[in-house]
Amino acid sequence: MGQRQWVVWAIAAVAVVGLGVLLFSPAGGGAQDVSPERSAELVAEGVRVIDVRTPGEYEMSHIERAENVPMNRLAQAATNWDRDEPLLVYCTTGARSGDAVRYLADQGFANVYHLAAGIIAYQGAIVSGSDQVEIAEMPDDVVPGDGPVLLVFSTDW
Amino acid sequence: MKPVVDRLEQEYTGTVEFKVYDVDKSQEGAELMRSYGAQYVPTFVFLNSDGSEAGRLVGEVAENDMKAQLDVLR
Repeated sequence: MGQRQWVVWAIAAVAVVGLGVLLFSPAGGGAQDVSPERSAELVAEGVRVIDVRTPGEYEMSHIERAENVPMNRLAQAATNWDRDEPLLVYCTTGARSGDAVRYLADQGFANVYHLAAGIIAYQGAIVSGSDQVEIAEMPDDVVPGDGPVLLVFSTDW
Repeated sequence: MKPVVDRLEQEYTGTVEFKVYDVDKSQEGAELMRSYGAQYVPTFVFLNSDGSEAGRLVGEVAENDMKAQLDVLR
């Protein structure tokens, strides 16, 4: 085989491998959005689940087996993670976890799945802390009041 | 979301009372949230003057959707 043929074959081989990587790897540098249904399948298959919300939000409810790694601790925590292990990342609506997924992909994580619609759309098993708390009555200063009220439950994220 | 809430609170001053709770820092807020069966933040619960719930919204909500709920409170 002449040198020129060798070069052609080498280029073709690289092209085929590159195409395979593009076709069979998660899009976006190792990250891809997945539906709530697919997320539930991934959880059932045993994927590692990362909840990037605050500890308070996590306590209220989270996907079964999820680990709580708040956004402000993600960079530190991820340094020790296996970059080839599939991860499913989520928050409430996909805003914060979108940032987390981009960060992980940039760090070389190869299989990051993003529950882009957030836990509010998730249909699989949810562990809820609200079942463990009983509230006897509403605080006096909330309802009924002198007029309409908007209650806003949020966090400082 | 906070700028939207702040803007609406100003716009509806004297009409609707806004009670904003950071549920990570406020025990009262966390308990109240649970008492309403809310599991996610942000959650917005719209209450009429008699305390009845007129509606609720969860997640990143458009300002217009918030206004639509606020405008029908009685």
